[in-house]
Amino acid sequence: MNDFLQLVFQGLGIGAIYALVSLGFVLLIRAASVVNFGQGEFSMLGAYLLVVFFNLWGIPYLIGMVLSVIIMAGFGLIFAYCTYWPLRFRGGLPVIISTIGASIFLQNMVLFLYGPSSVPVDDLFDTPGIQIGEVFLASQYLAIIVIAALLVGLQYFIFEKTLLGKKLQATSQDKEMASLLGIPVVLMIMITFAYSSALGGLAGMLVAPILFVSVNMAGIITLKAFAANIIGGYGSIPGAILGGLALGVAETLGAAYISVPYKDAFAFLMLLAFLMVRPQGLFGEKISEKA
Amino acid sequence: MLLTRRSALLSAAAVSTFAAGGARAAETMKIGVVSPLTGPVAEPGRIQLNSIRIAAEKINAAGGVLGQQIELIVEDDQSTNPGAVLAFSRLAERKEIVGFVGSIRSTQMNAMAPDMLKVGKPVMFGGTDPTLTKLGNPWLFRCRPNDGYSGRVIVSFITGSMKLKKVALIHSTDAFGTGGKNAILANLEKMGLAPVLVQGYTNNQPDFSPVVLAVKSSGADVIVSYFTNEPDCAVFARQLRQLGVRTPWVGSPSIQSPVTRGLAKNALYGTYAVADFVEDSNPTAKAFADAYRAKHKESPDSGWTYDALTILAKGINDAKSTEPQKIRAAILAIKKFPGTEGEYNFDQFGDGLHGYNIVINNNDKIDYKEHIEFTD
Repeated sequence: MNDFLQLVFQGLGIGAIYALVSLGFVLLIRAASVVNFGQGEFSMLGAYLLVVFFNLWGIPYLIGMVLSVIIMAGFGLIFAYCTYWPLRFRGGLPVIISTIGASIFLQNMVLFLYGPSSVPVDDLFDTPGIQIGEVFLASQYLAIIVIAALLVGLQYFIFEKTLLGKKLQATSQDKEMASLLGIPVVLMIMITFAYSSALGGLAGMLVAPILFVSVNMAGIITLKAFAANIIGGYGSIPGAILGGLALGVAETLGAAYISVPYKDAFAFLMLLAFLMVRPQGLFGEKISEKA
Repeated sequence: MLLTRRSALLSAAAVSTFAAGGARAAETMKIGVVSPLTGPVAEPGRIQLNSIRIAAEKINAAGGVLGQQIELIVEDDQSTNPGAVLAFSRLAERKEIVGFVGSIRSTQMNAMAPDMLKVGKPVMFGGTDPTLTKLGNPWLFRCRPNDGYSGRVIVSFITGSMKLKKVALIHSTDAFGTGGKNAILANLEKMGLAPVLVQGYTNNQPDFSPVVLAVKSSGADVIVSYFTNEPDCAVFARQLRQLGVRTPWVGSPSIQSPVTRGLAKNALYGTYAVADFVEDSNPTAKAFADAYRAKHKESPDSGWTYDALTILAKGINDAKSTEPQKIRAAILAIKKFPGTEGEYNFDQFGDGLHGYNIVINNNDKIDYKEHIEFTD
């Protein structure tokens, strides 16, 4: 039983990481109808910024994190200008390809600047964790779970309860209509890119102490986060969170009780099962092509 | 000035004689080197290249090879198999090259081996896949102990010096990890032992808690590991300690690499590893490491390229010829030759080393524990 609880906690921790990265995906899908395959690189860049500020320059951890988030928001604007803006009238696919290209470019740029070796970063807290009976709750996982919960709340609030959120959603649903209603469409899309990049960067900084900082740190996590997005419901905020957590717990328990080498397979089997049985995901709406 | 046909011919002859004389004076013994100058393993490649240059300088200072100075012709393998094949083919085109130093990566050696057979000149290499010297290719000479020995040494150490028998074996499911697992299982079986846990994992895992809990509940008294990627090893080590497992741990060389130690920090204190290059294991290694530090202000983490060039040069000198067959015979005749990686005793397959060092991580300092050598 203790092992089971320990595994569930680890699964929730890793699931919260998937959920955080998945949130970045969802945001851009909802506001700009863009599937950004550079989302993982936002995380990688955020983590490297923390390495520069904290490890190299000795700036205090939390200030380093805040600075990194601000820079990542600015970077999101540059990213949008380079990958999205020139192709905005060409439909979804060219933008997807463009984000894949940007992600390859960013990986190689960081590889050139920092080399292939992983870099360690300190935990957010000095205490390694809390021992409750036989179950050990690692502090970094706890931090991730709490921050993910806060960000989910914030994102839900922005999208559902504020005028800005409504404008963002209107922009996503029909840019022309939104424009006719006086919504500054370009500004809305730029805000979304900036926020999504900042969020991705923050996720990278939070996982950095667990996974270390390297060019490839976000690879498998980004894929799983995208799977979580599909499982939860394409473009759904609660879906991304629940999908991420479910994926994390399912693969951890699957690894422990069925097979460790097939751990990644459980995640993608789950994705396949959803695509076959419930393609709209847990919270998604059934969307059919218009004639 | 009147240029007659006679004077023109004379000056042309003078120029060509001078050029030929100049070429003779600068004639060098050319050795081809395939090395990762770019790509993900460029960093260890840099250390390997620095090491081989130290060997070249030492040999040249002592009079060179057959009276000629050694000149290294380096080609970049781009850290990839196609890159290695291309680099070797560029070197192979240069007929004046008498021998080669190949790769530390077994997959690259496998990719280049057919071309190496065609070229028919000695190749010193560092890849540790045991099959490389059993390909029927007579030109491959290994300057590191092969993986067959790492498994034997680990089992010999845990059952001999540590007197432990209940093994939990953790391994990557890739070629390296599976090869290591098979070697451990085969050697345990020879001792009449069976592991209490054999647990594979796929590379690049963000979470090892299922593996750690399996180790915890297995009742193992020693962990044996074959991790391919350093971050995986570090994530496992940290979770192992966080979840309170203090079982002794003996691992493949990656658990004592500076990168893994930098990532895992105190989670790896007290762990043992097999290691081919250990500075304190013999006087040659110590002298090489001192020379390296004096020149590059850092400590080397391998010495096999230094050994490779030293042995190749010795082979050519002993053969008193650059004829490939004679060099091959001279290298195979090398016995009890002190190298940085250990004592070289070449066998009929071209394996120079037959044992490993065991090291312990004492608060991030890698201390030499013992050397385990096999004669078969």
